[in-house]
Amino acid sequence: MLNYNPPINEAKNYSELKISEIEPITKINLRGKNRDFITKIGKELSIIPPSDPNTSSGNEKLNILWLSPDEWLVYSNDKIYLNERNALLEKLFDEISKVQLGSVTDVSDHWVMINLKGTKVFELLSSGCPFNFNNFKNSKGAVTQTLLNHIDVIIHNKNINDLNIFVRRSFCEHLWRWLNDSARFT
Amino acid sequence: MSKNLRITNNKFIDQTTRISFKFDGKTLYGFKGDTLASALLANNIHLVGRSFKYHRPRGIMTCGSEEPNAIVQLGNDPSMTEPNTRATEIELYEGLEASSQNCWPSVKFDIGAVNNFFSPLLPAAFYYKTFMWPANFWKLYEYFIRKSAGLGKSPTEPDKDIYDHRYLHCDVLVVGGGISGIMAAKTAAKNNFNTVLIDDKNILGGNTLFQQNECFKINNSYSNEWLKKEISTLNLFKNLNIKTRTSLAAYHSYNYLLARENLTDHLDFNEKKNKIRQRLWKIRAKKVIIATGAIERPLIFNNNDRPGIILSSSIKKYIDYYGVKCGQKISLFTNNDSAYETAISLSNSGVKVNSLIDIRDKTNSLIVTQAEKLGIKIHWKSTVVNTNGYKKINSIEIMKLSDDGTAVVESKTKEQCDCLGISGGWTPRVHLFTQSGGKLKFRDEDNVFLPDKSDLDQISIGSCNGDFELDDVIKNSVNLTNKFLKVNNNDYEKLEIISSKEIDKKNIWLLPSDKPLGKTKPFLDFQNDSTANDVKLALREGFKSIEHVKRYTTTGMATDQGKLSNMHALGIIAETAGVKMGELGTTTFRPPYTPLTFGAIVGRNVGKFFDITRKTPIHDWHVENKAEFENVGQWKRAWYYPKDNENMYDAVQRESKAARDSAGILDASTLGKIDIQGSDASEFLNRVYTNAWSKLEIGKCRYGLMLNEDGMVYDDGVTTRLSENHYLMTTTTGGAANVLSKLEDYLQTEWPELDVYLTSVTDHYGTVSICGPNSKKILSKLIPDLDLSDKKFPHMSFKSALIDNIKCRVMRISFTGEHSYEINIQSSYAKSVWEKCFEAGKEFNITPYGTETMHLLRAEKGFIIAGQDTDGTMTPVDLQMDWIISKKKYDFIGKRSLYRSDTIREDRKQLVGLLTENPNEILEEGAQIVAKTNKKPIEMLGHVTSSYFSPNLNKSIALAVVKNGKKLKGQKMFVPMKNKTINVTITDTVFLDKENKRLNA
Amino acid sequence: MFLINCPYCGERDQSEFSAGGEAHIIRPKQPTELSDDQWAEYLFMRKNIKGVQFERWNHAHGCRKWFNMVRDTSNDKIHAVYKMGEKPPIK
Repeated sequence: MLNYNPPINEAKNYSELKISEIEPITKINLRGKNRDFITKIGKELSIIPPSDPNTSSGNEKLNILWLSPDEWLVYSNDKIYLNERNALLEKLFDEISKVQLGSVTDVSDHWVMINLKGTKVFELLSSGCPFNFNNFKNSKGAVTQTLLNHIDVIIHNKNINDLNIFVRRSFCEHLWRWLNDSARFT
Repeated sequence: MSKNLRITNNKFIDQTTRISFKFDGKTLYGFKGDTLASALLANNIHLVGRSFKYHRPRGIMTCGSEEPNAIVQLGNDPSMTEPNTRATEIELYEGLEASSQNCWPSVKFDIGAVNNFFSPLLPAAFYYKTFMWPANFWKLYEYFIRKSAGLGKSPTEPDKDIYDHRYLHCDVLVVGGGISGIMAAKTAAKNNFNTVLIDDKNILGGNTLFQQNECFKINNSYSNEWLKKEISTLNLFKNLNIKTRTSLAAYHSYNYLLARENLTDHLDFNEKKNKIRQRLWKIRAKKVIIATGAIERPLIFNNNDRPGIILSSSIKKYIDYYGVKCGQKISLFTNNDSAYETAISLSNSGVKVNSLIDIRDKTNSLIVTQAEKLGIKIHWKSTVVNTNGYKKINSIEIMKLSDDGTAVVESKTKEQCDCLGISGGWTPRVHLFTQSGGKLKFRDEDNVFLPDKSDLDQISIGSCNGDFELDDVIKNSVNLTNKFLKVNNNDYEKLEIISSKEIDKKNIWLLPSDKPLGKTKPFLDFQNDSTANDVKLALREGFKSIEHVKRYTTTGMATDQGKLSNMHALGIIAETAGVKMGELGTTTFRPPYTPLTFGAIVGRNVGKFFDITRKTPIHDWHVENKAEFENVGQWKRAWYYPKDNENMYDAVQRESKAARDSAGILDASTLGKIDIQGSDASEFLNRVYTNAWSKLEIGKCRYGLMLNEDGMVYDDGVTTRLSENHYLMTTTTGGAANVLSKLEDYLQTEWPELDVYLTSVTDHYGTVSICGPNSKKILSKLIPDLDLSDKKFPHMSFKSALIDNIKCRVMRISFTGEHSYEINIQSSYAKSVWEKCFEAGKEFNITPYGTETMHLLRAEKGFIIAGQDTDGTMTPVDLQMDWIISKKKYDFIGKRSLYRSDTIREDRKQLVGLLTENPNEILEEGAQIVAKTNKKPIEMLGHVTSSYFSPNLNKSIALAVVKNGKKLKGQKMFVPMKNKTINVTITDTVFLDKENKRLNA
Repeated sequence: MFLINCPYCGERDQSEFSAGGEAHIIRPKQPTELSDDQWAEYLFMRKNIKGVQFERWNHAHGCRKWFNMVRDTSNDKIHAVYKMGEKPPIK
């Protein structure tokens, strides 16, 4: 068998702050422009991709994050086994890409998801993120793409003081170390 | 002596907590709450430094950030010492060590002080004028000038302190916690604005905090008592964030402001450890209220720079706030009412005021009357014409002013004193306003520049807006704040205010003396030692612009940026040149308002966080196997894998040979990968690459060159057709982000009609590349059920496969010229696949190789590296890659530029191969190539772009760009180096296996 | 440091954006039919005025969308932002 090598596989606890890398979950990038695309996705995933900027939609299984007017990131709440993931991807690819409604791309290993939990998460982010979280903080489901310590990230406000941060895998170790260094002072 | 300089009844200094500190090596004592300056004054130490040019003794002159003289070196640890700190801003802590700057061997005996006696020989721009010629003497001059000049010493070791950055977003930012700032912040907070109030002092309140005077009352309380009550209500507001010890450094466009918070500078030495020393706040405010107050002006008269000459309002703060007497026999010299407040404070604290010298005719404001009642002697319409005392003032000389104020009349009287307070009126602190792009207006009646127009959402209130009387400050601040915030706050509407009003104003920029101007020393810029005479000289020499005069005389260019001196320089220039000050304008106020430490600027972006590092999913294997790493952009790439103490050269020779003789393995995960889907994907590729893509079969790969619109090579890589409308493009490691951005640009702006979607998958896949004659055998061990025959899986094709049930894509492509495969698998399994390949290849001596060997192997085959052999000036034709330009395609990015008159020139620099006459001689990359060595000037024909010793050919090879190189094949050329000239021959770019036999070996 | 109102994502810090030069320079549909001078006009000539200028910007670290901006280069005031393909709201 091939060994699975997670990028971080660690969780750290600080006062009022927990930082952890989340188990391999499925992440799929969707792109498309027309209404048929939206309808088809809605049918296949039982969730309509949000059209409002900086928002998300989801159910107990999946989340869809708005990334741009024609781009979304789907991610699963829990670990999905490879066969199941491949089946989902194939189905979406056949229903979307093959019929020229848009594109479906597996980005499960492109992004690494880091979860930040605790009352100090926004203080932590403020040490390296120019984004204004004042309204974001209180709107559950809000999404933003921005820079954190000069690294591109997608931030999903999953719940109150419970954020999922997506970072490209090659950057994740650097960001992980930086987050933990920052946590010393929050 | 120190005991009788400290009065005991004050509220701000904790006189029960004694603090020991060292100044110039001597142990002294102060109290908790002191600044270094107040503690020194309490110890009767005025002399703290020497001036920059004449090395004249200089003393503490102010109590704040405008201090020009008391500039000290803090600490003596080689990693933490800090030069150019202002003693007036340093809070005293246990263990503080400070020393004077700009003096040698000591502040009391300074050799440089001989300059003072030669000062007639040291006019403005003396250094510029004298040390110009002869030019080659400059080295000698520089040595001595540097030794005798300079402000302080830099630390010699890395800073051990920790610094941090924070972003902050607020509705209202109030800068300055004086009376108007406090009222504005409270109004904003009360009306539910998310408000931040910052102040550079350790305590809010500004000058009103210690203004306990009958002439300034609010609702029947002393103004300080009223304000204290206001301050005590601030903590009721949860939406009001107060930051003390925080000074605003810069105010940029769009209300973006930088503020530095001092977190540990005031703590005892032992308490500082492991804490953030300073934090730089990056503030984005919807609205900004500037309430930064005003700076008291000095007066410009002969010998106005002696230790013991202090701004009058600072003397007041030292006595009222710190409980420190700046002297025992103090004289005051003024042109306005505020020195009378000082006189009253001193008198109430039992300090003898010799007399007040006022340049005005007798005036009868409330405060003047009160001072007279206390029996203070006043010399009306008089001026100080000279001061005496070398290391500290001991007397002043007073004369009457003529009616027009340009001369002195009658007899001279001498007055003994040990301190002289001076007050030349007030200058609003408009620095932040102008930094933000605001335009100033001039008010003639009291010669001040005031905030006028601004494009930003901001206001200035209080004395920085030109209100100097208590009632004006309150009334106008309230009105302006209400209007600015669009609120109706009537808390402050019915205040009963008693405020002394100044009745008479008079200003003389340069006060006359009984001596002629050339014989006096009226200092303007105390730190840079420029006098009124220097400014006048500059004007006589023809300088007209204020910016030029500033640079010529260096007025306002020291670390205090002329906070005290600028207005007088402007005034004297205007007067001398006969123009109005308002028309003359000001010099530009640039950030930072007060100097910032480098630590605060860089924050935590030091050491391992200096730059971002990207790692491949196989990185850990390279580390375990002792690879040396190379930075490629932000990536850490394995460079070579030294074995048994090999050096880089030996390792690369071994790796290169192994890859061609048997098998090599490379981590190619860093290559950019873009997933392309959509019905117009083929058409899109046709437009972005120079070659044709429509006919590429599904399952096949093709190499492509991407140009800029100017026809120059931009990037290259292999793209694979995965299915009808699905491609995977690879880019160079360094070009990945730019290529994606460029392609998105064309799709969004030029060709929105194309049905194409791009998604970066660079990090999703790890890429393991195996090459060499045994690579096929290794792959067949790994994926036994994959048919690897040349027929089923030819060069430039791809197969989907499973390795232990995990999907992967195998491309048979080659960057080395060897038979080779690239396995792309999702990153989490890449390391495991690598290890499996390594295991399977052991019997073939599979050798991991790094980027250096990769570069060598491709150079043997004459393959280019975009960015190494190209530099943004090379067309595909220049690279002798004409074959890749489609003749049939109507258009592609850069096509039209390929036949511009400049790009079709035959004598452009073109890519060629180079062989050295001596096969063991390796050329240096970057070395110049010439055709002749005898006739000067020698024309440089080109340069070496890639050079290696090829172990497979057993000779040195190189790629180069040479003018008209294509036609010069076989020609001898020269590469002149420092100690020798190397003979070379121009050759073809392909050195090995011209027939491409090895690809199918 | 500007605060830029991305037409898709809203107000964001300038560090999330990259600038792309002058706007409304349309790539010729038939480049092969242009003279060297005409092609050079498209390729190289840019106005770079002091005053109101039309510019291309990309929300590079956000939605990755390109858009246009009307900016006064003399005081950095942004008068308008609008999507690609839309007419400038200000002449």
